Amino acid sequence: MANNPTQKGLSSDELESLTQRILTMSTADQCRVNISSGWRGYTRVATNRITSAGGADATDITITSVFGKRVASVNTNTLDDDSLRDAVRRAESAARLAPETPEYMPELAQQSYTDSGGYYQSTGELEPLTRAEAAALAIDQAKANDQIAASYMDVQAGSNTVATSNGLFATHASTGVAYTLTSRTVDGLQSGWAGDEANDWNNIESQRIANDAVRKCRDWRKTDLEPGEYTAILEPTAVGMLMLRMMNAFNQRPADEGRSYFSRTGGGNRLGEQLFDERVTIFSDPAYEDAQTAPFTSQGEARERTTWVNNGTLENLSRSRFWADQLGETPLAGPSNLIMAGGNDSLEDMIASTERGVLLTRFWYIRGLNPRIISYTGLTRDGTFLIEDGKISRPVTNFRFNQSLAEMLQNVEMVGPATRVAASENSSVSTPIVVPTLKVGGFNLSSVSDAI
Amino acid sequence: MRNSRATPEIGTDLFFAKNKSVPISLIPANHRGSLDPTGSPIYVPDNSIQTLSRRDFLKLSSAAAAAGMALPAFLHSPPAAAQSMTSTERELLLMAIDAARAAGADYCDARIIRTQFEAIGAREQMITQVQRTDSFGINLRALVGGSWGFSATQDFSRDAVANMAREAVAIAAANNEVAPSETILAPVDVFPDADWVTPHTIDPFEVPIEDKAALLLRINEEALRVNNVRFSSSSILSVKEERLLATSEGSVIRQTLMRINPDINITAVAPDGSDFQTRGAVVEPAGRGYEYVRGLELAASAQGWAEEAAEKLQAPSVEPGKWDLVLHPSNLWLTIHENIGHPTELDRALGFEANYAGTSFIYPPEDVINKLRMGPPHLQFEGNRTEFGGCATTGWDDEGVPAEAWPIIKDGVFVDYQTTREQAAWISQYTGITRSHGCSCGQNWQTMPFQRMPNVSMLPGEADLSEDDVIGDTERGIYIEGRGSYSIDQQRYNIQFGGQVFWEIRNGRKFRMIRDVAYVGRTPEFWNALDTIGGPGTYYLGASFGDAKGQPIQVNAVSHGCPISLFRDIDIINTS
Repeated sequence: MANNPTQKGLSSDELESLTQRILTMSTADQCRVNISSGWRGYTRVATNRITSAGGADATDITITSVFGKRVASVNTNTLDDDSLRDAVRRAESAARLAPETPEYMPELAQQSYTDSGGYYQSTGELEPLTRAEAAALAIDQAKANDQIAASYMDVQAGSNTVATSNGLFATHASTGVAYTLTSRTVDGLQSGWAGDEANDWNNIESQRIANDAVRKCRDWRKTDLEPGEYTAILEPTAVGMLMLRMMNAFNQRPADEGRSYFSRTGGGNRLGEQLFDERVTIFSDPAYEDAQTAPFTSQGEARERTTWVNNGTLENLSRSRFWADQLGETPLAGPSNLIMAGGNDSLEDMIASTERGVLLTRFWYIRGLNPRIISYTGLTRDGTFLIEDGKISRPVTNFRFNQSLAEMLQNVEMVGPATRVAASENSSVSTPIVVPTLKVGGFNLSSVSDAI
Repeated sequence: MRNSRATPEIGTDLFFAKNKSVPISLIPANHRGSLDPTGSPIYVPDNSIQTLSRRDFLKLSSAAAAAGMALPAFLHSPPAAAQSMTSTERELLLMAIDAARAAGADYCDARIIRTQFEAIGAREQMITQVQRTDSFGINLRALVGGSWGFSATQDFSRDAVANMAREAVAIAAANNEVAPSETILAPVDVFPDADWVTPHTIDPFEVPIEDKAALLLRINEEALRVNNVRFSSSSILSVKEERLLATSEGSVIRQTLMRINPDINITAVAPDGSDFQTRGAVVEPAGRGYEYVRGLELAASAQGWAEEAAEKLQAPSVEPGKWDLVLHPSNLWLTIHENIGHPTELDRALGFEANYAGTSFIYPPEDVINKLRMGPPHLQFEGNRTEFGGCATTGWDDEGVPAEAWPIIKDGVFVDYQTTREQAAWISQYTGITRSHGCSCGQNWQTMPFQRMPNVSMLPGEADLSEDDVIGDTERGIYIEGRGSYSIDQQRYNIQFGGQVFWEIRNGRKFRMIRDVAYVGRTPEFWNALDTIGGPGTYYLGASFGDAKGQPIQVNAVSHGCPISLFRDIDIINTS
């Protein structure tokens, strides 16, 4: 966590000095300071023109004051001494008034972390003109094919910091860029999508994204298909959008309390049980290349590489410090990114081995249905195709799906190489998700969507 | 810097008081321009509360909660708008406008925005969250040629603000160079010194934390009295926005907007751990002061909601198929949000949201305005930013356009979209309306304003039908309260909407609770299946703090009013 002179937002030296200033102002029993500092720039395209572009620097400070087990926090973005003193005073007066929080755990002392990296100059120094050029590339490609481009590039660079009155100080700098493009025909009857997300701008392939979205739009003009259960090949973005929803499930407390798929009927949880296909391995790792995150939580607990599902067996569930204390076990921080191990099956092999199935590009409006089976509903979007006799036979209508993710992970048939995807529905830089293409049996497309 | 938060979801935190309806009440004098001295109800701080000791405060808050007391209302007091905005800030804003004009902006508008947020949360008998945030910054949006640029800073030094203004102009100029376009702004009156404050009697930020905490603990205590109810979480979110807007055309407008969101979620677990059921969404957020929370009688109602959660454990699962549906406004408002509110956003219809939220089936404008039948002739919708208690109610929008109400669906036919100044001219030849409907809004100082949803409300029927009348009109049906899991496609056709509590109706009466219900279908057919609508006595405002749109994503608060309504022959699926 060396000082980086060109880092966006406050430098690590400035952050250390700022946290010290605030902690010195504190008169509470314990105090924690969290700071998010950095810059965000964006360029948005619609109707083949740039509709908005901008940027903002921002530093946000959250001060958590604790008296006994009375806890309160105040967030401010004003950094002069008087304002900070006022914020500390407001946090302390709120904490004095607040009822006790029985589950409060004392602030941590200094911990040791593995430096996970993740700040790339290529992203931190990205200029508005470079963003505009990527936008122009998409607009030109769309226009040349009589299509209409709508794109978004989100660029973030900065740091997260935590410090406590018990001597902890940790800061981590990272960058992120997400670039997505939807291209539609002028008559509004065809649509295609492509996108990338990375920490490193050099891994964003603007030209490939323009090519893929425009090609997919050209190839997708829907024809009828009955809803039903289909063998489905999910492109990595589609897999990632679903797996993003799995992250919160790896939590031991709801499992122990009977509120989770991982609850065992009659009490306890299902740790150690083979729950999914043996090709399913899911882990998180703050140092994973080009999907890096901070190696610590907002409370300063270390995050390390953790395997949640190993060859289909539930291996770990996260435990808050309080819950671990209740159980007499060690705490385990939850995932800050999610990586699903890849396999060797190519997309071509998946299609060639499919007698009848569908190929899905991505999803939309995914919402939870039943947490006991981790079921979700949502809709296919921007490229849905029928596969017959080992070949893509025709583009087909969009569908609503109603699907248990647990069942989906039990029905895995083939696994492709894993890649970082733009898994957020709003296409902002989001939780890093690295997933493979999956071929799964019995994917439930429950009704037709007329949307294009 | 990573934004690790999940995509904000609409309506994750909504509730309503059971069977309690809020009658329509429009604010007679919504605006107070510089020439109009009549004001709206204004808050006066009650300093006596702040000086209470912790012990006194506990006594007062529990007594007040027990008695359902509201603190005295102070009406007709001097305006207290833009409480923290000083003449220095006004001068700084005008300096930013000058800097942008000097740098080549053809038009610009600038804002100083302070957003305060407070969250108090409780789980069972413990307080889990006491948090206040305060974010303060300045932004400027510039038009060069036909292209926009935007910049924002939290550094209020004159140099930083001037640089911020010039940066916005530079981005606009760069965009205009790379991809030139045309922008025509609709005419707007100039308001050189205007004020507006959300009508309220108690500023939520003047109510001590302990009052709110005591209420939440009482709610959870009441809920946990019920057999098999094991978890109860509750929270109160309060928001206060102080906004100072200046435009290069000469308007200077100060506003203070308040919103409040009480929330309760109760979970019952089967004794053998084989099942759990929840009851949430019991009351609604509102664009009001704390007096709204005090009027909801949350602690007194908590046991009733908890009993519903427990009863769901025993309730039979729904038989899928065609059913008549009686939708309580606490459910119907979110349906309206999804399949009337969103598809009538003009920017969405024209492709501006294609890469995120999608487009609209209400398109193209020339083929649908005054032509597209959306429902039966007794179906009326209006967009409005003036309705009392609405989360999107305001005095002026982010472009200085005064708030108004206008028809969106008239006698069952679609007649108009939601618009900003830039958008009005795009459809004026079809609507005959040349002015903006005042729908521009940016979430905070960091975000560029764009078209956001106003309150979009369904008007009650002329016949004064009660809830019993509407249920009585149903031989075999399902009555749904509260919003559940909602999902709709990117052109707003395919709907799958759930609820909180479901009652089977037999022969015009609620017969028994059932569960696992979602209604599915296609928006045009759904609204054309509307049969009976309730009267003004059943009208009720539902709301969300979490309407997401735009890239970067911006979250908007919005309300939707509607009466209880009966839909015939709707497809029901079983979600278990």
